[in-house]
Amino acid sequence: MENNYYLSKKRLLTLLVAAIFLFFGIFLRLAYIQVVWGKQLQQKASNQWQRDLPIKAYRGDILDTNGSLLATTETSYGLYARPQSVVDADVCAQTLANILQKDYQKLHDKLTTRGVSEVTLATTITVEQAEQIRECNLQGVYIASKGVRSYVYGDFLSQVLGFVSSDGVGQTGIESYYNKYLQGIDGKLLTETDLVGQELKDGSMNYISAVNGLSVTLTIDATIQAIVENVLQLAMHQQNPQGARCIVLDVTTGEVLAMASKPSVDLNNLPRDDLETLMKYSKNTLLTDIYEPGSTFKVLTAAACLEEYVKGNPNAFSATHVFGNSAGTRIIDGSKIKCWTKHANGKHSNQTLADALNNSCNPIFTDIALSLGKDVMYDYLNKFGYGKPTGIDFQGEQGGLLVSQTAVTRGDLARIGFGQTIAVTPLQLCMATSAAVNGGLLMQPYLVKEISDPTTGQVVQRFYPTVVNRAVSEQTSATIAKMLEGVVKNGGGKNAYIEGYQVGGKTGTAQKFVNGALAQGKYVSSFVGFFPASSPKYLCLFIVDEPQGQSYGSIVAAPYAGLIFREIINYKQIEPLE
Amino acid sequence: MKVKFDYILFVAVLFLVAIGLVFVYSASMYSAQATYGNKYFFIGKQLVGALVGLVVMVALIFVKLDIVKKFWIVGIVASILLLGLVFVPGIGVENYGARRWIGFGSFTIQPSEIAKFAYVLFCATYMAKTDMSKLKNCIWPVLVGVVFCLLIIAEPNMSITMCMAMLMVLMLFIGGMKSKYFLLLLVPLALAVPLLIIAEPYRLQRLLAFVDPWASPKGEGYQLIQSLYALGGGGWFGVGLFNSRQKYRFLPFAESDFILSVIGEEIGLVGCLFVFVLYLVVILRGVRIAINCKDKFSCFLASGICAVIAVQTALNFAVVTGSIPPTGLPLPFISYGGTSLVVFMGAVGILLNISRQVLQDVGVKNWIT
Repeated sequence: MENNYYLSKKRLLTLLVAAIFLFFGIFLRLAYIQVVWGKQLQQKASNQWQRDLPIKAYRGDILDTNGSLLATTETSYGLYARPQSVVDADVCAQTLANILQKDYQKLHDKLTTRGVSEVTLATTITVEQAEQIRECNLQGVYIASKGVRSYVYGDFLSQVLGFVSSDGVGQTGIESYYNKYLQGIDGKLLTETDLVGQELKDGSMNYISAVNGLSVTLTIDATIQAIVENVLQLAMHQQNPQGARCIVLDVTTGEVLAMASKPSVDLNNLPRDDLETLMKYSKNTLLTDIYEPGSTFKVLTAAACLEEYVKGNPNAFSATHVFGNSAGTRIIDGSKIKCWTKHANGKHSNQTLADALNNSCNPIFTDIALSLGKDVMYDYLNKFGYGKPTGIDFQGEQGGLLVSQTAVTRGDLARIGFGQTIAVTPLQLCMATSAAVNGGLLMQPYLVKEISDPTTGQVVQRFYPTVVNRAVSEQTSATIAKMLEGVVKNGGGKNAYIEGYQVGGKTGTAQKFVNGALAQGKYVSSFVGFFPASSPKYLCLFIVDEPQGQSYGSIVAAPYAGLIFREIINYKQIEPLE
Repeated sequence: MKVKFDYILFVAVLFLVAIGLVFVYSASMYSAQATYGNKYFFIGKQLVGALVGLVVMVALIFVKLDIVKKFWIVGIVASILLLGLVFVPGIGVENYGARRWIGFGSFTIQPSEIAKFAYVLFCATYMAKTDMSKLKNCIWPVLVGVVFCLLIIAEPNMSITMCMAMLMVLMLFIGGMKSKYFLLLLVPLALAVPLLIIAEPYRLQRLLAFVDPWASPKGEGYQLIQSLYALGGGGWFGVGLFNSRQKYRFLPFAESDFILSVIGEEIGLVGCLFVFVLYLVVILRGVRIAINCKDKFSCFLASGICAVIAVQTALNFAVVTGSIPPTGLPLPFISYGGTSLVVFMGAVGILLNISRQVLQDVGVKNWIT
């Protein structure tokens, strides 16, 4: 019995020692958590101690080349509540119902919602309402301002400007391509809260201000753009086509001065519910869609011919060469190529290159293309920028369709000579035509010339004209320009003629391909023109898609280009040369 | 009559109770205001508990131990009845999916808190007059212990069951059961663990949560993560009294099971060390009293009380620091909870009572030998 008692006391001491070790072990663990691990734990914990209210950065403005506003951000006020922090829901709901002219019960229900940290009372309220509510100083109710994208002219430059998503991210156009400059950096308001998001009474507030977006200045001239949009509307009205499109650019720099397609969308009132319509009319088809250019493409064949002659290529023809074969058709590898008109009564006979351009005579360009051969022709297609995107600062640009050089047949080559069996974007055609008349340089087109900080006015990035490559010599270019001036003076382009301004240009009419086959009676009529021919500056490509009635570019497109040039002359007050 | 008793133990316990009052207030004032609209909701009840506890403690210092001894059968019967009442609808109070309380109006008690000490009293009485080296004599303490365990686990209350089981083993160990017989006890206990996990799969999830709480930060791991955030925020000296950030409803049971986290956050590792030392003082003084006892009953009773305090404190510390799987267990003297506070203070009263006899009869010798 007594032995047993001593055993108990011995065991008690053993347990005591064990307990002390145990406590010591746990204390070490505690020390590790508090002192070694502490910093890391604290950082993690701080995330849950604060709620952040985002402060949206204001999206940058988009300006035209002269600094006039095209797209901006307007302030709109939204009303929100944190039900946990609302002190007197009855008074709150009554006050707000009076100010907002809203239903008391609905507001009351929202203010007393449980299990949510935040409710939206009104998505947009007026400045006056915001001011009144602020004066009432209702606890748990707060006003947040946010920027709403606003386009100054609505349905204007739509496809170029593009639009933003409902949460303000650029989706298409300039809004998308330059989104990272425009969007700015959101800030936030950090407030100390408890677990369910209720603000602490003496909690601290931490304000991280937003950095507003940068301003983007376009090469687009709003006045020229307006001219173009109006003329397009006129064409839509008069020709009743599927669509009409136009580009105006500065041939010396590659700056796009105007770019528009009709029909278009109102950027302030987008058909967001009708995605098909939205995508169709908001797409910048001038660089995303391809078409068969037809006769406007003859400029390239003519330029290649003259340049090769200067270089001494025996297969090329001089400007004064008279083409002997005046027949209206050519048979290439068993397939017949016809001119657009019958060569009867001396029509299209004994033509020079200039005559062939004036007459837009298909057989002559077939002869030139075949004489130069596919290697030379493809060399020029490449030099004029066909078969690859122009590199404009825009998303979704296409590079056109070119039969591969190894697969191209004589029949294909013959047709390429006058703009068939090749598909290009309107922008590619503009750049190639510019290169043919501007002194021989293929330029890279661009839409944005400057990105600047609106607060300091400092230019963050400036874009300069970029030469892609030399296409032809200055001499050849000058000759081509002179010949195309002749086309407008005496040939198919005379509807664009303006006395004293040396307008040059070339018409085009191409049959449309629908589902891979030529569609009867469906034409794309176009005119590409420029002035003044002795020192070209402005170039305009005007395309009418499926005009009703007349289909020749000379009748359907050239007059509108002429009208645009006249308006530009008025606007820029350009003096006549002669 | 000059009363002699262990003043150091008395003062240490009063310190712990006082610390408890301060931190129950600090930890609960925000959530009490938010939930009950009264930031004194918890501290008010705790203050009542402390006063009742003080009365009980002082009273038990002066009661004759022989009388206490006679209450062993009352303790067992009352414990079984109260534990059974938990399951009676209308009397048992359900909370967080467990029936752990019995309530009369706004007054609720937790029978398992009483059962632990009733068991200690029973063991002390029984083992003092029995030769515990014989296996058959060990049956009664084991039987009563197992019945208590089963009743408590049915609530369910895993943590108090664990406490109870450990207490049973410790009592038998101190009582003098032969070492080899412990195999008969420990093997079934070890086998019970996988069975309990299969019965309630949430226990396994809790087990995993303790290994990597960030695997389920919103679920099983939440409590522990919040506890670690609180402790981590405290560092060496804490963020200052009443300045806890985690008590803003992030840390669940901040005023009860996880009060040490708030202490760690507000007064840091140094503050925790002070609390640790106080508990060690209580345990050391308790063991000192037990060892110096002349009779076996007093010795076993004192040892048992020390064992309850030590086991529960160690388990609580271990849970809060993520050393073992999370389980709800109040910290003796400090955590919010009236029953617990009154019962623990009463138990210390008995410990002090025993210390009086030790001091009067034997005097303080070099107690280690």
